[in-house]
This record gives sequence, structure tokens and C-alpha cells, in this order.
Amino acid sequence: MNLTINPIIALLIFPAGLALMAYSLVYEFVDRKLVARFQNRIGPRWFQPLADFIKLLAKEEIIPEGVNPALFISLPVVALAAALTAALYVPMFGLKPAYSFNGDLVVTLYLLSMMTLCIGLAGANTKDRFSLVGATRALTQLFSYEAPFLLAMLGPAIAIGTWNIGEINAGAATNWWFMLTQPFGFLVALVGLMGKLELPPFDAPEAETEIVAGALTEYSGRGFGLFKIGRDIELVIGLTMIASFYMGGLASPIDFLWKTLVLLLVTALLQSLFARLRIDQTVGMWWRVGVIVVLLQMMVIILGKYLGPFIQPLIGG
Amino acid sequence: MDNSSNPEKFIVNIGPQHPALKEPGHFEFTVDGEIVKNASARLGFVHRGMEKGCESRNYTQDLYLMERVCGICSHVHAMAFALGVEKLAGVQAPPRAQAIRELIGELERIHSHLLWLGVAAHEGGFDTLFMFSWRDRETVMDLLEKLTGNRVNYSANILGGVKIDINDEQKDALLKGMDYLEERTHHYMKVVTEDETFLGRTRNIGLMTADEARRLGAVGPTARASGLAYDVRVDSPYAGYPDFPVKLMVEPAGDLEARFVVRINELFESYRLVREIIEHMPTGDLAVRVPRRIPEGETFSRVEAPRGELVYYIKSNGTDMPERVKVRTPSLCNWASVLTQAVGHKLADMPMILAGIDPCFSCNDRMVTVNRGSNALDWSWEDLRRYGIEYYK
Repeated sequence: MNLTINPIIALLIFPAGLALMAYSLVYEFVDRKLVARFQNRIGPRWFQPLADFIKLLAKEEIIPEGVNPALFISLPVVALAAALTAALYVPMFGLKPAYSFNGDLVVTLYLLSMMTLCIGLAGANTKDRFSLVGATRALTQLFSYEAPFLLAMLGPAIAIGTWNIGEINAGAATNWWFMLTQPFGFLVALVGLMGKLELPPFDAPEAETEIVAGALTEYSGRGFGLFKIGRDIELVIGLTMIASFYMGGLASPIDFLWKTLVLLLVTALLQSLFARLRIDQTVGMWWRVGVIVVLLQMMVIILGKYLGPFIQPLIGG
Repeated sequence: MDNSSNPEKFIVNIGPQHPALKEPGHFEFTVDGEIVKNASARLGFVHRGMEKGCESRNYTQDLYLMERVCGICSHVHAMAFALGVEKLAGVQAPPRAQAIRELIGELERIHSHLLWLGVAAHEGGFDTLFMFSWRDRETVMDLLEKLTGNRVNYSANILGGVKIDINDEQKDALLKGMDYLEERTHHYMKVVTEDETFLGRTRNIGLMTADEARRLGAVGPTARASGLAYDVRVDSPYAGYPDFPVKLMVEPAGDLEARFVVRINELFESYRLVREIIEHMPTGDLAVRVPRRIPEGETFSRVEAPRGELVYYIKSNGTDMPERVKVRTPSLCNWASVLTQAVGHKLADMPMILAGIDPCFSCNDRMVTVNRGSNALDWSWEDLRRYGIEYYK
């Protein structure tokens, strides 16, 4: 892109600006509407997420007794900032990443984990029982899905031989879709994203019938709104990454649109199919199934990559 | 079940206001990590003074009042009261009235069990099942409206019979509704017994043996899911049940899954009964005359509400107002089983175990004053009113 854009306009449109926030609200709407339709409900109107967000921003933020106020106020900001920063390194809207360097994959994945970390800290910061239980569960869940998710994202990286998201995106377009060659990695990545975003059935950290709103029970107004939109942005980034890694790369905005929306449809379907998992069931599932499957996948990739050149002459390929 | 405010303990309060509870009740779970070590309950947030209210109204007005004890099983309360008063008055409702009473009772059971299925699924985080079962529940609600004119407090009973009749058009609608619901219920049975994630939340959770159930005084589907073969409709048939007998549904397992299976089996049984009653509806009058003043005496009347055995004690003093009406609702009997099952389970299982007995809070709240020695308290209606005003000042 050789266009020179005024920095202030650039801030508003691409990539980590208001456009991304607005876009993530649209995705929240699509997600909510799809789940509602699967559940035989009407679902929200198209502007409902935006209306929620504006309302939350306008509300008074109540700082409960017994918390560290600085931490209480700064945690949502940090979480949102981390999510927005992560957007810089991924091929948003099918365009080239705004910044990239070798190894930005790892940085992005860690930036994405900041959200859960902030939610965990936010819960532990308050004295509320529900928040404490929610924070414990959020962090427990973090430890269970984080490793498999990371390994699943490394699969295509190793296959292509670079840890630069932009190059992986370009490389994925020249290969077969990794979704077909690495199906387990794809599944683990998608389900891991749902765990990351605490979507059903992995919503034990915010199970409303047990612990009200989990770690964010004491949050209201602006803080809650920022956490919410931060999570929406993570949803968009996560879908973008999975689509670019496993679905043959994102070359254009059209590519981006249909691939991420198809993924969103699948996650919405998964959200409405299952009963909520208990936290021990979540941990058990990830470590007993997720990790092993992904490790096997990894071994196959590595063996294929390093032994391939030796085997190829033997089998006459 | 006692709970001390020991600061070493980590107590999770559920209620009186909590998203899991649709009515106010207070539960304290002492947890160690996720494991519940102790559980206690406090009820009485929705005490309404209905038993006392009965004493200053005549029997016809009481019937209206008792229908409003419970919002879900309203018909069965009115039926229990009407049966008790009829027994005291020495009259019996005609067979057609008894059959219609049973018919509405079974339709009410269908609506209550479908409602419960949804609530229990929601507590387990399975909102899809919640939405679907409530959508299908609308079918039976519409049928009840078609029959009686009301969706909730049907007001089908009068003393000495019923005030509604059934015509051919309603019969057809009922049969069609039952066919649809039966098909849907087969699907729910499959979900409840085959869905892996759902079974993970219900199988071997909240186990209660038959002995425990008997010791803790569990009633209704909760007891039947533990293998206790006890159902008032079978053991002491009332209304139309001698003519249209019901099959007892028992599951020996005693866990949450068994409670789902028992209730869904009862749904099938109710569909069968509704069809049978429609096909063999007795002819004749709808009501007999009941005297305004009920002769002196006292009586128990027992019926099987959707949640279990419901007992009415009515004492008359020869006037047109009862001397005393005592209601014992099934939810009250099942609380002990909840608090016992809770210990040793995970906090995440608590909402489902709570919902497992299908609790109804507002119908089991009573006020009790304990008379010690000569310090007997006799509270008049005016005293209670003043006490209430003072209490909430």
C-alpha cells in the first residue's frame, strides 16, 4: 500500500482503531444472532452490541470496597490495549499486517493471552466470592488450553518454516489448506479459541447459574464495557489467525470476510450444541485429548518436514 | 447442616438474589477449592400468610386462594382443597368431573415437567435444550388455555366438581398436541440419555440411595428416581385415577440422570393418560351441590403434584369458613435430600442438584411459632398484620 494517509485518519480506519472495534461489534452481533437462531430464539437487533457498549460507557463505574483502585481501573485498559496491539501483527481484513518481524507469531499469541490474565487478576483483585472462584477458574482454564492452542498455531508455522505471521499467511495460500493436511491442529485451534474467549461450553469461568458473572462480577460501566469489547476484538483476531493459517491464507478482504464468517458459523454451532463443561472436565479434556492429539500432529509435521527429502527419492516422488 | 461464621471457611452464598434462582432462597456452600464441604439453606423470603388467610374467607373464596399457592401446579392445589372439602361435606363429584380433574392435572404435569426440563438444562449451561423444551411447553399451555381460558391459574375446580366441559374440537386439539409433544419428548429422552456433555453433568451426580431417600423424607420424582416406588396416584388413587390408573415410573440409579429419565417417562405416561381419558370420557353432570356450611370435622387430602406428594389438612367448625387449613408442599420434603447430596460435589454441580428436586420456593414458605410451656402464642389476623408492618418497617 503506497497511499499516504493522514495519521489521524489512519488511526480511525486501520487496523487497530475504531474500525476494528466497530467490526468486532458486528461479529459479536453475528455470533449472538446465530446462536439465538440455533436455539430457536429471535436474537438481538443489528445495533444491539453497539447499544450495549455505549450504554456501558455512559454508566457510572462503581469501584467496590477492598480493591486496589489503580489496578481495578487499569486492568480493562491493559486488556483492550493488548488485544488492539495484537491486531497490528495479523492480516486484518486480508491486508498485509501493519507491522511484522520474525517471530511475531509468539508475541501475538502472548498478547492474546493478556486478556485472560487481566480477567484473572481483575477477579483476584476484588473480595467478591464469585469473582475469586471465577478468577481461579479463568486461570485454570488458561493453563489447560494455552499449550494446545499454541502448539496448534505452530503447526502451519513449522510446516512453512517461518514464525512470521505475514509470511505464514502468504505461504498458506501456496499450499493445500492446512485444515485438510492438519485437521487435528485446526480443530484444536478453533476449540482453543472458544476456550480463550470463554464461549459455551467452556464458559465455566463465568457460569451465570453458579458464580453470576465470574471474575467480572464486580465490574460495571466502563471497565466492563472495555473488557467486553476487548473480548470481541480477540474473537476477530483469533478467527483471522485461524482462517489465515488453516484456510489457505487471506489474500483479499473478500477472502477475509467469507473465511472468518464460516469459522464464526462453526463456532456458533459448537456453542449451541453442548452443555457447559465443569472446570475439571475442561482441564481433563485439554490435557488428555487436546495436547496429545496436537503433539502427534506436530511429530508428523516434523518427521514429514525433515525426513521428507530423504524419503522422497526412495518412493520415487 | 449448621453453619458457623468461621472466617477460615470460604463460603459461597447463593441467594436470595442470584441468577440461578428464579425465586428467593438462600444457600450457603462452604467450599474447599471447588469441592463443597457443607451446605445450609434458609427459606422464608416469600411467606404470604395464605393458610391464615384461609381462616377469614369462606370455602369458595379459599378455593380461589389455594389455587394461587403455586404458579406452576395451581390446579393440583385447588383439587386437593376441593377433594378435602367434599369429603368433609360428605359429597362426591360426578365421574365426568373427576375425569376432567385428572385430565387437567395431567396436562399440568406435562407443562410442569417440560418447564423443569428446561430449567434444569439451563442450570447445567445447556441453553439450547432450555429454549427448545420451553418452546414445546407452549403447546400444552395453549391447550390449557383452550380448555379453561387461562394459561396458568386454570380455575377449573369448584367445590363439588368442575366448571368446564370438553367439546369435540378441544378433544381433537388435545390429541394433536399430545402427538406433537410425544414426538418431541422422544427426542429429549435421546438428548438426556445419550448426549456426552450432558451425561458428564448428570451421570453419578447427586447420588441418593433408596434408604437415604426414605430417611430424608424425599417425595415425588426425586424419590422415584432413587428407586422408592411411591406415588399417591397409585397408592391412594383420588379423583379420576381409580378409573384411569397410572403406571408407576421408578428408576433405581438415584442420580441426576435418573431424575431426568423418571420425569420424561412420566411425561410419556401423561400423554397416554390424556388420550385414554379423552377416549373414554364418562358422561353425566359436571358438579353436585355442596352446602355452604361444612359440617364439623377434620380431614387429610393427599394428591400427587408434579413435584411429589401434596397434603392438605382441613379442619372445619361447622361454619362457612375453615377453622384451620394446613398445606404441606412437596418441595419442603425434598430440601434435606439436596443439602445431603451437595456435600462432596463440586460447586459447579450445585445449581443442577438444586434444580434436580424441581424446587418451588414460594409454596413451601411457612411461619412457625414454637410454643414453649405456658407461653403459648395465639396470633390473630390483626396481630399478624401488625407484626408484618413492624417487621418490614
